[in-house]
Amino acid sequence: MIDALLRFSIARRWVVLFLVLVVAGAGIWSYQRLPIDAVPDITNVQVQINTSAPGYSPLEVEQRITYLVETAIAGLPAVEYTRSLSRYGLSQVTVVFADGTDIYFARNLINERLQQAKTQMPAGIEPGMGPIATGLGEIFLYSVDAKPGAKQADGQPWDATALRTLQDWVIRPQLRLVPGVTEVNTIGGYEKQFHVTPDPARLLAFGLTFDDVVAALENNNASVGAGYVEQNGEQYLIRSPGQVGDIAAVEQIIVTHRDGIPISIRDLADVGLGKQLRSGAATHDGKETVLGTAVMLIGENSRTVSAAVAARLAEVAKTLPEGVTAEPVYDRTVLVDKTIATVRNNLLEGAVLVVAVLLLMLGNVRAALITALVIPLSMLMLMTGMVATKVSANLMSLGALDFGLIVDGAVIIVENCILRLGERQHQMGRLLTLDERLNTVFNSTREVFTPSLVSVLVVILVNLPILALAGVEGKMFQPMAFAVIIALLAALALSLTFVPAAVALLLTGHIEEKENRIMRVARQAYTPVLDGALRFRVPILAGAVAFVILCGWLGSRLGSEFIPSLDEGDLAVQALRIPGTSLTQSLEMQFQLERALADVPEVKTFFSRVGTAEVATDPMPPSISDGYVMLHERKDWPDPDKTKAELALEIEERLEAVPGNAFEISQPIQLRFNELISGVRSDLGVKVYGDDLGQLLIAGNQIAEALNEVPGAEGVKVEQVEGLPVLAVEPNRAALYRYGLNVADVQDVLAAATGGEEAGQIFEGDQRFSLVVRLPEELRSDLDALERLAIPLPAGGYVPLAEVATLNLAPGPNQISRENGKRRLVVSANVRGRDLGGFVAEAQAKIDSEVRLPPGYWLTYGGTFEQLQSATERLTLLVPVTLVMIFALLLMTFGSARDAALVFSGVPLALTGGVIGLWLRGIPLSITAGVGFITLCGVSVLTGVVMVAAFRDRLAQGQTIDDAIREGAMLRLRPILMVALVAALGFLPMALNTSTGAEVQRPLATVVIGGIISSTILTLLVLPGLYRMAWRARPEPIPAAVATGESVA
Amino acid sequence: MKTMPIKIARLLLTAALLTLAAGCGETGSPATDGTAVQEAGHDEKLGEEKGEHDEDGHADHDEEESSGAIKLTPQQLQSAAIEVAAAGPTTIRERLPLYGVVAPNAEHVLEITPRFPGVIRSVTKRVGDRVRQGEALAKVESNESLQIYTLTAPLSGVVTARNANPGEQTGERVLFTVADLSTVWVEVSLFPRDRSRVQVGQAVRVKSGETGQAADGKVVYVAPFGIASNQTLTARVLLDNTDGRWAPGLYVAVDVTLAETPVRVAVRNVALQTLDERTVVFTQGPEGFRPQPVEVGRSDNEATEILGGLKAGDRYVAGNSFILKAELGKGEAEHEH
Repeated sequence: MIDALLRFSIARRWVVLFLVLVVAGAGIWSYQRLPIDAVPDITNVQVQINTSAPGYSPLEVEQRITYLVETAIAGLPAVEYTRSLSRYGLSQVTVVFADGTDIYFARNLINERLQQAKTQMPAGIEPGMGPIATGLGEIFLYSVDAKPGAKQADGQPWDATALRTLQDWVIRPQLRLVPGVTEVNTIGGYEKQFHVTPDPARLLAFGLTFDDVVAALENNNASVGAGYVEQNGEQYLIRSPGQVGDIAAVEQIIVTHRDGIPISIRDLADVGLGKQLRSGAATHDGKETVLGTAVMLIGENSRTVSAAVAARLAEVAKTLPEGVTAEPVYDRTVLVDKTIATVRNNLLEGAVLVVAVLLLMLGNVRAALITALVIPLSMLMLMTGMVATKVSANLMSLGALDFGLIVDGAVIIVENCILRLGERQHQMGRLLTLDERLNTVFNSTREVFTPSLVSVLVVILVNLPILALAGVEGKMFQPMAFAVIIALLAALALSLTFVPAAVALLLTGHIEEKENRIMRVARQAYTPVLDGALRFRVPILAGAVAFVILCGWLGSRLGSEFIPSLDEGDLAVQALRIPGTSLTQSLEMQFQLERALADVPEVKTFFSRVGTAEVATDPMPPSISDGYVMLHERKDWPDPDKTKAELALEIEERLEAVPGNAFEISQPIQLRFNELISGVRSDLGVKVYGDDLGQLLIAGNQIAEALNEVPGAEGVKVEQVEGLPVLAVEPNRAALYRYGLNVADVQDVLAAATGGEEAGQIFEGDQRFSLVVRLPEELRSDLDALERLAIPLPAGGYVPLAEVATLNLAPGPNQISRENGKRRLVVSANVRGRDLGGFVAEAQAKIDSEVRLPPGYWLTYGGTFEQLQSATERLTLLVPVTLVMIFALLLMTFGSARDAALVFSGVPLALTGGVIGLWLRGIPLSITAGVGFITLCGVSVLTGVVMVAAFRDRLAQGQTIDDAIREGAMLRLRPILMVALVAALGFLPMALNTSTGAEVQRPLATVVIGGIISSTILTLLVLPGLYRMAWRARPEPIPAAVATGESVA
Repeated sequence: MKTMPIKIARLLLTAALLTLAAGCGETGSPATDGTAVQEAGHDEKLGEEKGEHDEDGHADHDEEESSGAIKLTPQQLQSAAIEVAAAGPTTIRERLPLYGVVAPNAEHVLEITPRFPGVIRSVTKRVGDRVRQGEALAKVESNESLQIYTLTAPLSGVVTARNANPGEQTGERVLFTVADLSTVWVEVSLFPRDRSRVQVGQAVRVKSGETGQAADGKVVYVAPFGIASNQTLTARVLLDNTDGRWAPGLYVAVDVTLAETPVRVAVRNVALQTLDERTVVFTQGPEGFRPQPVEVGRSDNEATEILGGLKAGDRYVAGNSFILKAELGKGEAEHEH
């Protein structure tokens, strides 16, 4: 089949070139459609159902909303699990679907079920789904600020309420229209509200209640359409405008009559602009601000969308009133551009180096260009593949690509073609005829095609275990393995079609069969070395083995980390305060933090979100804030060489000096991923399910005790569920009975007084604002005044609240977490100094024997140990399979276990250089470094196969083993050096670059470069000797049929 | 999040090394197996190192908690706006805010009926007119004697009602009401909880929400019987009204001073925090701030008496004490989803 394909490519070379052109065109077309982002999206398929329930406490939220939503969702297809959170005023149910579920399908299903649930919920409660976005969705943040001293048209300064109104009614509606934006979320400022604040004493004096005021407002603030009348053939529409438009109009609304005297709102209450009871706020460099977040629709190109939002915002900003600014504070474009620039530069510089090497070593411009063309072509084919399989272009998916590696196969083929064409010309003493040329190209391609095929297959095989990773690791690394595999397959296809076709077409002239100076020098140097290597093969082998051992030991001294985290260029500081911290207090503490960083020269700006935004994509309590520390460009730093880690440490120290906060320092995207993926992040999480919160806590504490006794347990922690101060106003039924009151009478007055009661809306053109009846602020915040809150009696008169209810301040549930429809509490623990599996088994046994759960309570075990177990299972199955497959591949190539083993032996030698490289540069082991080792396997197999195949050819031709080795090695010196040089130089920019994103690629490149150096040296020195030792016993030539791997074809 | 990926990385590495081991196994080199074993050993070591690091982090924290003291530098105190004051003697004014209605002083309201029924011949005072004691109000011609006699005001005050016009038959009805408004009553409803706390003689401050005027008075009467419909007792405050500012019928706010007690040790109310369901005050000692459980006594809207836990002169955090509570509890702060 391969022969047929080769023949076709050479014979129909123009057709092939045309097809390649078409494929390239498709690649360019795909490139424009390729989603580009900085990092891979590791969010699972999830739908958030947020229900806002103003005034509801966690318990009420859970009982009356969360439970209903969960029940409605239960039993949907493809649901992996649901989890929920009930907090003050907010219910959030997160439904996680199986990977690969269509998000729109999932949302449709949920929507249908929500309609049913809605009917059972309290009036006015509307569940809604969160934006159609992933963890990468928050692409653009801007802050709306007023310049100092700026005044509104009416002479008032621009306050948080006015800025919020601008955001809500001017900026947000315009940004929402930008294609690719699914939501513009707002946090900070106050929604403008009209407040009617009755004086309780005056209400009492007139014998009126809150309800009377609300009713009066509702009855006097509506426009009505009243049909039409026909008059003389015309149709008159009838409407009665009755809306109040301003504060004065509200004041004149009449509440009742007393002795013929109308009592208006003005006589009872103050009317003015008020502040909503907000759940979140935003700060910017130590002052309050309004923060908008543009959220990108799932699957969009973040760079495009973010740039479009920025352009739109700039336009909108021009139309804002004098003195108000709307400035981007976070723009994903910056990061994506930087990252992509890094990747592009690395790839371009690598490509240039590769071309230079080819030119120097081949000494033939056309041949070098043909080989180099494989780079952009395979890249374009990769783009098509990525678009087709919906893999986004990012640092991880493109990060492991090495053009050197990609062109390796082509290099070998082109090199051999030149060699053979040159030889043939030399033999003939003239230029070749077309047929002769085509034949030579075919034969020489065929001759070395097997090694390229084998090396590609080996790389693909070693990538298989990565493809088998699940969960976050899978999402992170699968695209990387995937891209490498596609690119290699593309290159393989090209070297089978395009390369021979182009060679046949273009290498027409005289071909210098003599080698250029570089190769001559190399050969002269290699000849004595090879002799020495053959003579002292035993000591050299022993030395190599010792070297491998040494490197193994060295490897054990290296540090270890996950992936080197992508430097997003900025920092995220999540500040955590004790539960129950009020928003105002939290805000004040956040100001202090921001001021603490004000004079750090590297910090450009520091802005934060405190509490929950309007759309509760991240339901934080007021005690927690997400801060973004935006840094200046590195070149503007006082010391541009300062590392990010040093800066982070410095910032942390400064923040630590501000009392009262705990921190988690990460990076913006990282933080968002953590928030969305969530789940149990420790090694072992014991989840207790049950009904009663108190009972759950008791069980949780028992479990924590048991876990603490298991050796190896560390950081055992019971989930914090308590701690929110709750003022419980418990109606005293006996007292109510005496006064003839219902419980609801008391509750309604209380809710209206402290929470406020909405009594309609006030329209100002398009804008609409709530009209709220509430106690005056100074009374609302005074607990004594609350005790005296007058409850009207049915028979007239009043009774103070404290007479009919007990006011009880006690810590209550801070939040109620549920999973899969049941209340749950997590006890988490990390494991240190022993194997996880054994620890978990012992912990389970101990908990089983020591913790007695009441009936109806049960436990499950989760945590990373689960993922680790499944990963271990996959890998323990796949790694041996992979090894067997690689060996089988080599066996098929050579038909000889011994040769296969000889090639295989190059792998550990290649790994040594990688380890040394890491050690020299002080880089820890990581998965990206692991990917480098995988790449090395491919390269070392490639050179090994090239070398061993040459030996076998010579042996098959009847040469003695010594001659065969000597000649084979000399013959293959050039391709091996070239392969090594292009692969190593292709990665050189990556290894040296320091710009954004380079830290992910650096370990990979370092490993490959180090490994290739060692692999090349050892292939050239150790392999000949080893081959000599392996075949010394059987000097007879091996059958020609199995030489150069006919069996593979 | 952190530990598991390391383990994955380790697995991958082990996989790579297994590859290596298998390769060398074929060539009969025993050395590489050893490498793989070493590698595995090393991985555990890595885990340990990582763990130890965590441990250190925790250890610091534990130390802080065990000693219980929070150290803050002067800059920190300033930036966090923490204010320190000395606990000391003060007077606690316990108050009870109530609502009341201004009413005429019933002891100074007189209704004037004609001594002998007859025909009213003339009326000299109108509603609202001030009258002095003995001043003529009207002349009545007795039906029996046909004598004209003069109705006079029995006390100085204001005519608040007049049911008399010249020519009318008086009958037995009340012709004039004269009220002396130089003192008024404020009638206050006492709900059951407050009944025992209000006694005759207590000082009272009366305020009018509308006009903002205020005046001092005294509780002069607490009714001995209650009103069934709203379960209240009526208490009465006597208020001087020589300038006539307190018109009967108006609603007013009443602040009863229950007691004024000098106490030896008191702190500002904002200094009190709740920690583990105990009331604490943060005190400043040589080694830093620490929470001091206290027993609280009386309190008014500014200060609270401390019965136990603090001595007079102890330095305590009077402003922004929540910051210290937050600092103490920040180890527990977490973000769960």
